[in-house]
Amino acid sequence: MNTKITFLAQVLATLWLIPSAFAQSTYRIGGLPSLNLNLKLNNDWSLNTKLESRQQFRSGEWNGKAIDQYEYLLTDLSLIAAKKIGLNSRLAGGYLVRSGEGEWFHRFIQQFVVVQKLSGFRLAHRILSDQTFSKHEKPGFRFRYRISSEIPLNGESVDEGELYLKINNEYINSLQAMEYDLEIRLTPLLGYDITESFKIETGPDYRINSFINGNTRHSIWMMLNFFIEI
Amino acid sequence: MPKQTLMTTWFRILLLVIPLSGNIRAQEKFEKESRIGEKEVPTQALLFLAPLNLSKVKWYKEEGLNGTSIEVKFKAGKARYSVEFDTLGRVEDIEIEADWDDLASGLRDSIAASLNNHCIQHKVIKVQRHFKGDEAELFSIIRDGKNIPSLTHQYELIVRCNQEHQVDQFEYLFSDTGQPVSRSKIVFRNSSHLEY
Repeated sequence: MNTKITFLAQVLATLWLIPSAFAQSTYRIGGLPSLNLNLKLNNDWSLNTKLESRQQFRSGEWNGKAIDQYEYLLTDLSLIAAKKIGLNSRLAGGYLVRSGEGEWFHRFIQQFVVVQKLSGFRLAHRILSDQTFSKHEKPGFRFRYRISSEIPLNGESVDEGELYLKINNEYINSLQAMEYDLEIRLTPLLGYDITESFKIETGPDYRINSFINGNTRHSIWMMLNFFIEI
Repeated sequence: MPKQTLMTTWFRILLLVIPLSGNIRAQEKFEKESRIGEKEVPTQALLFLAPLNLSKVKWYKEEGLNGTSIEVKFKAGKARYSVEFDTLGRVEDIEIEADWDDLASGLRDSIAASLNNHCIQHKVIKVQRHFKGDEAELFSIIRDGKNIPSLTHQYELIVRCNQEHQVDQFEYLFSDTGQPVSRSKIVFRNSSHLEY
C-alpha cells in the first residue's frame, strides 16, 4: 500500500508542476512509434534492440502562434545487453546511434532495473546513466530514474488477450557544456497483451524541461510501442 | 551507415524473428485468470459464502490446462482466505494465509531441513495453509477459524531460493508433518516492456 501511495504522490507532483510552467513556454506535438525486440540468451543474458522514430506535427508558443507542419526529427537504433543479477533485477549496458538534424549521435547506456511483483500490479524501478557524443555538439551526460507501473485492467495479473495500464514517471538530470537541466516525463499508456511474447502500447509521452531557467518546453509525443519477445 | 540501410536491415531481422515468436508461444503453459462479477458466479458458490456476510469479496475465473475454476478472495478477521470452486459451485479447497513464525516449531524445523537440502540460502516469502475435504467442515474452518483433523491439511510455501549460480522462486507443497509433496519453479512473466 505504501508503494502505491509513493508512486501516486510522485505522479501527482509532476501533474502539479505542469500548469505553473505554461507561461512563457513553447510546445511540440508529434508521434513516436517504436519497435522493441528482446532476445533471451543462455545463462540469464538477454539482448534488447529498439528502433524508434520521432516526427513533429505541430509546434508553437502557448497563447501564441502555432505551426502545423509535418517534420521528421530523428531515428534511434539501440542495442543493449543485459544480465539477470538477482531474482528480479537486471544490469545492462549498450549503445544507441541517433540520426537527426543532419548529424549522427553516439550514446553509451548503463542501466539497473528491479521489477517488484506487488498485490495486483507490478512496479519497476530503473536507474540509468548515458553519455552522448557527436561531431558538432559538446558531450552530454545524463542520470535518470524511472518508476513504471503495470496495472492489469482485468484480474490480478496481465494475461494473454487482456488490456493493462502502464504509467511511467521519469526524472532526467542532464549536464552539457556545464549547463544543468532537469526533464520530467509522465507517460500513461494503454497496453494490450496479444500473447506473452507480443505486446502493443499506445498513449501520450509528456515531457517538460528547461523550466529551471524559465524557458519551459513541453513535448507531447504520441507513442505506439510494439514489444516482441523471442 | 546511411539511414535507409539501417532501417532496412532492422526490418529484415524483424521479419525473420516474428514467426519464431509464434513457435515459442505454443510451448508456453496456458493459464488465465480474470476478474468476474457476482452474476457470473455459480449460485452454489454464492450460497456457500452467504452465511458469512462478507462485506468485500473478489471473484475470479481461472482457466488452465486442467479446466476452469472459480475463485473468491476475501479477508475475515485478520486472515486472508481464498476459496476455489468448480464451475458448478462445489468447493474444491480453501487456502488461508499464515505467518511462518506461527507454525509449530517441529513443523518449521522439518520444512526448513527440506529447504536447506535444496537451497544454499532461502527466504520464505509466503505461507498458505491448504484444506480439502467435506464442504460443511471447510465452511466451519472459515467461520470458527479452528483446525478440523479429518480434513486434508497441507502447507504451500513461496520460497526465494539461492542455488549455486542462480536465484529462483519456488512453490513448495508440504504435508501437515512437514514432508515435501511437490515443488515447482515459478516462472516470472517477461517484463521487457517495463525495463526498456
